[in-house]
Amino acid sequence: MTVEPTLQKSAPSLGRAVIARLRGVHKTYGPVRVLDLPELDLYAGQVVGVVGENGAGKSTLMGTLAGSVRRDGGEIEIEGRPLAAGSTAESARLGVALVSQEFPLVGQLSVAENLTLGQRPAGSKRRVLVDRVGQRRAAEAMLAGIGLDPASIPVRAQVRALPVPARQLIEIAKGWGREPKLLILDEPTSSLGPIEARLVLDLARRAAEQGGSVLFIGHRLDEVRGIADRIIVLRNGKLVADLTPEEATEDRLIREMVGNEIAHSEPKTAPTETPTMLEISGLTADGLGPVDLTVREGEILGVAGLMGSGRSRLIHTIAGAQPATGGTMRLAGKPYTPKNPGDGTAAGIAMIPEDRKQQSLVLFAPIRDNVTVSILRRISRRGVLGPRKVRAEATAITDNVKVRMQSVDQPIGSLSGGNQQRAIFGRAFAATPRLLLLDEPTRGVDVGAKAEIYELIDRAAASGMAVVAASSELEELLWICHRIAVMHRGKVAAVIERSAATKEGIMTAAATGLEQQEQQPRTPLELNGNPT
Amino acid sequence: MSAPTLTPADTADASAGRSAPATILRKLAATPEAGVVIACVVAFIWFSIAAPTYHSTDNLQVMGRDLAQFGILAIGESFVILTGGIDLSVGGLAGLAGILAGWFNVTHGMPGPVAIVLTLLICAGVGWWHGTMVNRLNVPPFVITLVTFTICKGLALSITSGTPITGLSNIFGDLSLYYAGPIPIPALIFVGVCVAAWFALERTYIGRQIYAVGGNKEAARLAGIPTQRRITSTYVVSSTLAGLVGILIIGRLGVADPSVAGSGYELTAIAAAVVGGVSLFGGEGRIVGIAAGAILLELISNGLLALNVNEYYQTVAQGVVLGVAILADRIRARYFGAGKR
Repeated sequence: MTVEPTLQKSAPSLGRAVIARLRGVHKTYGPVRVLDLPELDLYAGQVVGVVGENGAGKSTLMGTLAGSVRRDGGEIEIEGRPLAAGSTAESARLGVALVSQEFPLVGQLSVAENLTLGQRPAGSKRRVLVDRVGQRRAAEAMLAGIGLDPASIPVRAQVRALPVPARQLIEIAKGWGREPKLLILDEPTSSLGPIEARLVLDLARRAAEQGGSVLFIGHRLDEVRGIADRIIVLRNGKLVADLTPEEATEDRLIREMVGNEIAHSEPKTAPTETPTMLEISGLTADGLGPVDLTVREGEILGVAGLMGSGRSRLIHTIAGAQPATGGTMRLAGKPYTPKNPGDGTAAGIAMIPEDRKQQSLVLFAPIRDNVTVSILRRISRRGVLGPRKVRAEATAITDNVKVRMQSVDQPIGSLSGGNQQRAIFGRAFAATPRLLLLDEPTRGVDVGAKAEIYELIDRAAASGMAVVAASSELEELLWICHRIAVMHRGKVAAVIERSAATKEGIMTAAATGLEQQEQQPRTPLELNGNPT
Repeated sequence: MSAPTLTPADTADASAGRSAPATILRKLAATPEAGVVIACVVAFIWFSIAAPTYHSTDNLQVMGRDLAQFGILAIGESFVILTGGIDLSVGGLAGLAGILAGWFNVTHGMPGPVAIVLTLLICAGVGWWHGTMVNRLNVPPFVITLVTFTICKGLALSITSGTPITGLSNIFGDLSLYYAGPIPIPALIFVGVCVAAWFALERTYIGRQIYAVGGNKEAARLAGIPTQRRITSTYVVSSTLAGLVGILIIGRLGVADPSVAGSGYELTAIAAAVVGGVSLFGGEGRIVGIAAGAILLELISNGLLALNVNEYYQTVAQGVVLGVAILADRIRARYFGAGKR
């Protein structure tokens, strides 16, 4: 369980032996090809940084290597041995270790039990009974192996009692303890403080020096550039750039990540004369803020940002689904202090949450019940509902947003994703809200259906609703929004008018927290074509 | 919102082109309650042929009275199960309610109606307490109601020192022993509770919100439904109905007997709900099915009695019925999509 054995191999393996050879690896979800790599080799002794937008194929690449995602085709060899598709056990056997962001740890068990899960401590004589001493010794050795002071994480402690950074370190120790040939680190530092982050970066270096190969997925570009010997950029599932650290300037990376496609939408003119609908000042909540924002009637405000930047939190806090800890909100000029989502709906706010299945729908219940759930009280007469009235309302709601279905009595789970989402929009519209909050409005919706959702959002704004739409898809925001607020670590890093918004600008603000203007003096010059 | 005309396109469903009888059969098979209702009819006919006394007026009256007991408990229990919870206290609480009513009435000399109302209020309070614990402190429903069950059993014995309370007011007997025509009053109360519960769940917005909370609590919360209040209300309904059953039991026996407390009624109530198609995950199940489930269990247990089947085997038979019902429901769900998980 210690790192000594691999240490010895480190010297001779610097001759650029291929650790992982990928040929024609591809993966398709529905109509979308999320990964398509004709050729990729990962060499011994290299830390390879992987960058790309959300949905660029980074997690799919990691998954295919680790076996948690079954590739549709192509060959993968680890040190010359072929890797079967879709088996985590097989990947582990060949020496691939994935340290993921979602820690698959058993919270009720101790650190020691988690670290030795599924295996007996080496050298233990016990066959049936648990060797607790051996487990603890092995676990301590694993933690020491990644350079942790044994006192910092008590191996007897229950994992669920530990803070997130500690869990991340345990997860790393678990991966490291397998003495991997290929170590995959998925944003390993995103939950860590600077000292632990340093430790993890050192570890990645050490793994490479010992002759292994490291895939380092990161959102913070400076960090990736600092650690990697080579940086690959993924976009729409394809490998678009394979750069040396010298080539990989921040500008270059961002350009490769977003591509050169020009956003095909006409910039929208934001309504300027309409009264302010929502005014937020100094709003704070767990992991959010302070945030200042305003939204006018009929305006669509986009919220961009990387994963974990606080997009959803902002939406949830406005809706009253997450308690605010400070600051003020005013809705149509009146103070608005929601304690629960019920207060939000009562004040005229409708929210369409990110996860349809978990947060919006009762999948096995009929469409009729799902679309009327937020207006039951209004359509009842002194609390009593007529079944004909419910069906009529449900029919009107679904017709209004053109849900394609047989009848309002079929379970809503039998509809396609796009149809379900339209039904949810119908339900939100039925409550005649003043402010519509959207979180990933087109998640899990196919391309054709997306355009229809965008139409619905436009329609909402045209009817005078204020709309706040959080999305991880930049193109989507550029398509639908009048203004875009970019979040970075819980705060608004920049608010960009649609006419001035570019993918590069948004990406820069999201990744660095810096406003676009600070590094943009050259853009106007280039436009003029006259640098004097 | 204006509704533009639109022809709903055909989404995937095979039944569109079938002949009418096949469609009806399919619809029947797709309705969770149909199986239980049919089973009730079959069981009744079969026992009537096998045991001639089975469909005599006397025996039907006995069944009606039995139904009033665990049938009403099953209705209350179902409210809780619809929210994804469980109420193990109903049997014990029913027993204690009977003792309390008798104790208020005889020992404390309260008039019958006052004793009854006070008992029901106390039971409602117990339900409110369950709901509050489940909501505020996130106590698992199983645990908090088990606590109540245990306390109720003990309290019933402590209050009476183990001896039955005799000399109850006439109102108790009147409630339980009188007839409207050939129908015993408790059976009518059962029907009344069924209708009221059906109305509350199917025809009021609160009822529909209870289904939404049970089906997807987070979605209900985000839709602005006061989920905690809805959950508490179901525990109040369950406990209050348990109190009502306790009062009917002492009326039937003529004494408030502590040994009746906690005699396993809650399990029969849960079984009736499950047989009737209520999902223990919450959000699914209708009163028709629950009532039919209770009736089916009663038809079978009484039928086995009429056939002089060994008492021990009767319990086995009830277990088998429960097992078959769950199996049938899962198979139906697999083939017809609704309720699939």
